[in-house]
Amino acid sequence: MDLRYLFKELYHQQRRTLASILGLSVGIALLIILNAVSIAYREAAHAPLREIGADITVQRAGDVPEELTGAVFPCSAVTIRKEEVETIQAIAGVQGVGRALLLWVFDPERVSILLGIETESSLGPAILRFSVTEGRFLDRGRPEAMVDVAFARQFGIRVGDTLPLAGKKFPVVGIVDASQAAKIAVANVYLSLQEAQALAVSSKQLQSVSPFDPDDVNLLFIKTEQERIKDVAASLREIMGKKSQVATPDSFLKLLGSLFAISEKFTMAASLAAILVAGLMAFKTMAGNIAERAREIGVLKAVGWTHRDVVAQMMAESVTQSLVAGIMGILIAFAGALGLGFTQVSIPIPWEMSPTPHFLPGGGEQIFKTIRLPMHIPWTLAGFAMLLSILIGGMTGGLLGRHISRIKPSEVLRHE
Amino acid sequence: MSRPSILTAENLSKNYNGLLVLKGVSLAMESGEFVSLVGKSGCGKTTLLSILSGLERPTEGKVVLNGKEITAASEDDLALFRRENVGFVFQSFNLIPTLSAWENVALPLFPVKMAREQRRKRAVELLEMMEMGHRLDHLPWALSGGEKQRVAIARALINSPKIIFADEPTGNLDSRTGEAIMDILSRLNREEGVAILMVTHEQEVASKAERIIRMHDGEVVS
Repeated sequence: MDLRYLFKELYHQQRRTLASILGLSVGIALLIILNAVSIAYREAAHAPLREIGADITVQRAGDVPEELTGAVFPCSAVTIRKEEVETIQAIAGVQGVGRALLLWVFDPERVSILLGIETESSLGPAILRFSVTEGRFLDRGRPEAMVDVAFARQFGIRVGDTLPLAGKKFPVVGIVDASQAAKIAVANVYLSLQEAQALAVSSKQLQSVSPFDPDDVNLLFIKTEQERIKDVAASLREIMGKKSQVATPDSFLKLLGSLFAISEKFTMAASLAAILVAGLMAFKTMAGNIAERAREIGVLKAVGWTHRDVVAQMMAESVTQSLVAGIMGILIAFAGALGLGFTQVSIPIPWEMSPTPHFLPGGGEQIFKTIRLPMHIPWTLAGFAMLLSILIGGMTGGLLGRHISRIKPSEVLRHE
Repeated sequence: MSRPSILTAENLSKNYNGLLVLKGVSLAMESGEFVSLVGKSGCGKTTLLSILSGLERPTEGKVVLNGKEITAASEDDLALFRRENVGFVFQSFNLIPTLSAWENVALPLFPVKMAREQRRKRAVELLEMMEMGHRLDHLPWALSGGEKQRVAIARALINSPKIIFADEPTGNLDSRTGEAIMDILSRLNREEGVAILMVTHEQEVASKAERIIRMHDGEVVS
């Protein structure tokens, strides 16, 4: 194999070289982009849960209360027992469990969505401490309330006011703007978990639907090892029973409805198709190129190049082209990813995770979390694509080189 | 005093799909001999040259070239044998279009482990011998027909062969340039002692050789 000959051949036969490189690089770029889009959708599906520090949320569906007065459970979230929480904490792969209590409070003046939160937890709605716009965040165990900014505006509530809730009164210590937060685990009014639990325990309506003890909750936010999300979700369904509602990133993906999001198999099939077409294009182009050089190969053999010398030269040429095609493909894919990164994707929130009662204005509408498609190309993907490109080049060069080197010099060198 | 034999062919036949193009040809050449192979178009001259030089195998018969029976050798052995013992000059020059003059001359050495400078030095020496020292880095398209053939002759000499097989070396050249090429081949034969077997259909060109072998309808007739 002679490098000088190789580079001069590629340089002087620009049409051939460019055709081979372009065909393969487009295929490589497609392979990378398809997979990067799939990865981006998967990451986007993680966003609503990740924003509250969790990988899985758990709740349990129950019955609709007979009478909507005082504090009641939403029908999608009834009691989760303290013992069940303890069992969940012991599941292999679970790294942390955040608890919350979601209630609908029907007072004569208004209906409030109330969320009791673990004020010192890093999991779940306590993340709202970063969204306080006025006043302060809740202190643990103190009988005080924090109000969403839109709710406060609607009812003229200010920091320092007293807020009546299910027969109790809570001083308002802060206003929070949850509009930019995850669309799950948000409410109109926030109390510490203990205060919300006390309201639930004392509510006859609530107790009649689903008995509730002081340490029980109705929402769990679970952080798990990433590779065990599916296993943990399966265990959760087993522990929580038939009416459990376990939401994982896959739950969001299913609602997204995109082919990329729905099926890894689709991405795999499309990638394979792209690379197959690219490989065939490269093979066809290189085959045409090599066939055009039959006379040249005849000369090489006549002047003493062995079968192996010819194959090595052809392989080196095609591997070099595929190396350049791989680099170009990666660059094209990076440019494509940059462009696609400006795309916005709206992730639907499953209805059972929407805190708003469906019978209230706007309560039945689909809620979306809108984010930019988090496009990026992992180095492993780029490396794989590069290796694949080189492999295609090597195989193409090897196969074609073996074929063309069988040529008999006398057949192609006979004078005209 | 007779010279040692460089080439012996015994009873060579070649059959292409039932068409017998060579019929029991036998011939011999001595080292340093200049032989012309003449005959009408289609009489089997080029086929015989291909078989004698190891580019093609006969259907029957054997060829001993520089002491080696090449008809029994494998393809790769033949290639290596050609690289070390044989030079070729073709009617169509057959230069590699992407390589410069000196690189075309060095082409047979590309698969050989050798410093690039050493290769270039040898190629330049040969091109200067062919009075082509001023065209070293030109690509074939920038050379005239005569210059291309000079480059091809230099390539044939790169491994200091004992014999050169030339197939219509002046066929694509005007008469003046053809004469110049024939002068080079004659000089190589006379001064370097290189044996030359040249196929031609031109009587005037053939007459430059020491001996003329005539072919007719696949047979040597004189």
